[in-house]
Amino acid sequence: MKDLGLHLLLFGLAGTVVVVIGTLFSEPDDRAALRALPRRLLVFFAGCAVVAGVMLLLEHTVASVH
Amino acid sequence: MPRATPQPRPAGDPNVAVLLTWFLPGAGHAYLGRMGFAALAFGVVEGLYALGVWFSGGMFLEILPEEMRGRFAGVLTPEVGNLGALLYHVGQYGYGTGEPRPWPPHMDLGMILTAASGVLNAMLMSRAHLDARLPSRGPSSGGRGSGDPALLALATWLVPGLGHLLQGRRLRGVVVFGLLVGLFVLGCLLAQGSNLSRERHFYYWAGQFLLGLPAMVAEAVHGHPRLERDAPYGDAGIVLACVSGLLNVLVMLEVYSFGERRLSGEDAAPARAERAAPEAGR
Repeated sequence: MKDLGLHLLLFGLAGTVVVVIGTLFSEPDDRAALRALPRRLLVFFAGCAVVAGVMLLLEHTVASVH
Repeated sequence: MPRATPQPRPAGDPNVAVLLTWFLPGAGHAYLGRMGFAALAFGVVEGLYALGVWFSGGMFLEILPEEMRGRFAGVLTPEVGNLGALLYHVGQYGYGTGEPRPWPPHMDLGMILTAASGVLNAMLMSRAHLDARLPSRGPSSGGRGSGDPALLALATWLVPGLGHLLQGRRLRGVVVFGLLVGLFVLGCLLAQGSNLSRERHFYYWAGQFLLGLPAMVAEAVHGHPRLERDAPYGDAGIVLACVSGLLNVLVMLEVYSFGERRLSGEDAAPARAERAAPEAGR
């Protein structure tokens, strides 16, 4: 887990940009986009956390080479 | 009894106009009967490609390593937007003679021009699609000026956020510019500029090229650096720079669809109504 913090920071930055641009794409009105943003960010990062959790679980169980 | 006003007929089939333009820039507009615009579009787009081939000696596919060469290697390049020229290019130059030879002195400029020709033709295709749907001699068939959705999308490609600014959506334009160019700069820093070379990263370069001028200027100023130390986050940087370009496609689509709605009179009526509702309730 070398440089875990930096990896998370880079992922967080890239993820935030992706979500903000996605929100601007789907919401033509600025105010509506701003209102939708927190929920979208939450869903995106929570979803990513779940996927990461499942991958770690598999890595340490069925996909483990040890 | 009121007489029904006749519905204006569209100028042509949008799909035919797009496909014709894809294979031959301007052909879609010739099909729509706009010969002057068609000739101009053909001259600009193909002229750009021809100039690019002249500068690069037609060698842009030769920079691909042996293992990446294949029949469809050119599909994921910006040049695919100008399909007719790309097919001709592949047939005429292909992967070269097989003998190693030095790149021409202005190889990078040439590749930028051929790639720009592809992006420009993609905008022309969207314009042909729109023109085909509009009435051939209707009030909105010409003279759209800066309100032309394809032109606004082109402006967004050149400078992310510029299309929004031209549409009067300043905040959105500034946010888009800051986020995309910021992500691209971060990618360049992490990759130590190694992403700014089509020869090193053929397909990632194609993605970041969609960021327009920021990517082109960065390559002209800091591109093709001699790497003297290891870049521990080089791969991450290359991905981030590519992602910033790909996200700009989403931005171009948003600008285009907003411009199209405005042109067709739909404007942002729902948004205005939404803003007016709380005020009416006071």
